[in-house]
Amino acid sequence: MAVCSTTTLSIGGSVFSGQLRHWEPNESKLFQKPRSRFRWLCLNDLHLLRFRTKTLNFNPRGSLLPSLYAYGKEADDAFLSKVNEDTDEMFDDLMKKYGEVVFRKNDRKSPSAELDDDAESLSFAVEMAKVASDVKAADIRVLFVKPLVYWTRFFIIATAFSRPQIDAIGSRIRDLAEKKYGKVPSGDAKPNSWTLLDFGDVVVHIFLPQQRAFYNLEEFYGNATLIELPSETQPPFHT
Amino acid sequence: MIQPQTHLNVADNSGARELMCIRVIGASNRRYAHIGDVIVAVIKEAVPNTPLERSEVIRAVIVRTRKELKRDNGMIIRYDDNAAVVIDQEGNPKGTRIFGAIARELRQLNFTKIVSLAPEVL
Repeated sequence: MAVCSTTTLSIGGSVFSGQLRHWEPNESKLFQKPRSRFRWLCLNDLHLLRFRTKTLNFNPRGSLLPSLYAYGKEADDAFLSKVNEDTDEMFDDLMKKYGEVVFRKNDRKSPSAELDDDAESLSFAVEMAKVASDVKAADIRVLFVKPLVYWTRFFIIATAFSRPQIDAIGSRIRDLAEKKYGKVPSGDAKPNSWTLLDFGDVVVHIFLPQQRAFYNLEEFYGNATLIELPSETQPPFHT
Repeated sequence: MIQPQTHLNVADNSGARELMCIRVIGASNRRYAHIGDVIVAVIKEAVPNTPLERSEVIRAVIVRTRKELKRDNGMIIRYDDNAAVVIDQEGNPKGTRIFGAIARELRQLNFTKIVSLAPEVL
């Protein structure tokens, strides 16, 4: 068994190295961004594992692994699509050919329950954004980040022009959330140049203009869907 | 298990490259820091022409440790390196992007800013 597994692994390895050469043209482009590089390494890992299953079908551990990786891949599709369209298709084909779901966690919610939760969080986020605009926060963006990160659903990004204003926006949001929804945020208690209120499914970021440009969260979450706000038809505060 | 004299990698683009822990923030005589703990560190190596310089004393949050992190559900996470993110006195990160995977425990410890800049949360 031991001898057998080493030989099959080496076959997997040789196939993998053959594929690696195919990847090289993209390398210089990907290395500019460490994030992309990280993904790229993950991809290679995934690649290797899939080939390993192809040759190692009798091994129960070997067949369990790719399903976990595939799950991660599905979640990361939004990121990957930007990295390279061709490789994405290639992996989809490989997944269709050799992939199978062997293990699935049973603590997942049904799709309808997920949708309900999404809608609830959306109404909460829009309400919070409205409160922020009441206190004259500028450039309010509500982003649906659930497809990109697992740990929250919505981001609200707003600019305030002074620390007292940050304090005002923060306390108004806190008050309304506690009174109407019974949610208490974690995060910054004192006004900060980047004040963050974490409501679980909704995360509110209030920046000073300088910090907003510095951290540039919108660019980092550039693939997230922007939610239209009803009050956006009004002219913006800063002109 | 980070203690004074431990060298750590920097997992952000603040300009520091290597840190050395000189103090663990917490109880007096606290021996070890783990993921999510704040340490005082000195910059041992820095990228040239960046705001942070060698031998500067800063605060940092530990984001990866070689010592395994255990969760209640039995999951164990062990990274290949010890890494930290440079923060200021208010808890804002000095860099704008975080590199590599970080643990979700940071969110519970009120470092959601670091989590929201990270490319991968485990």
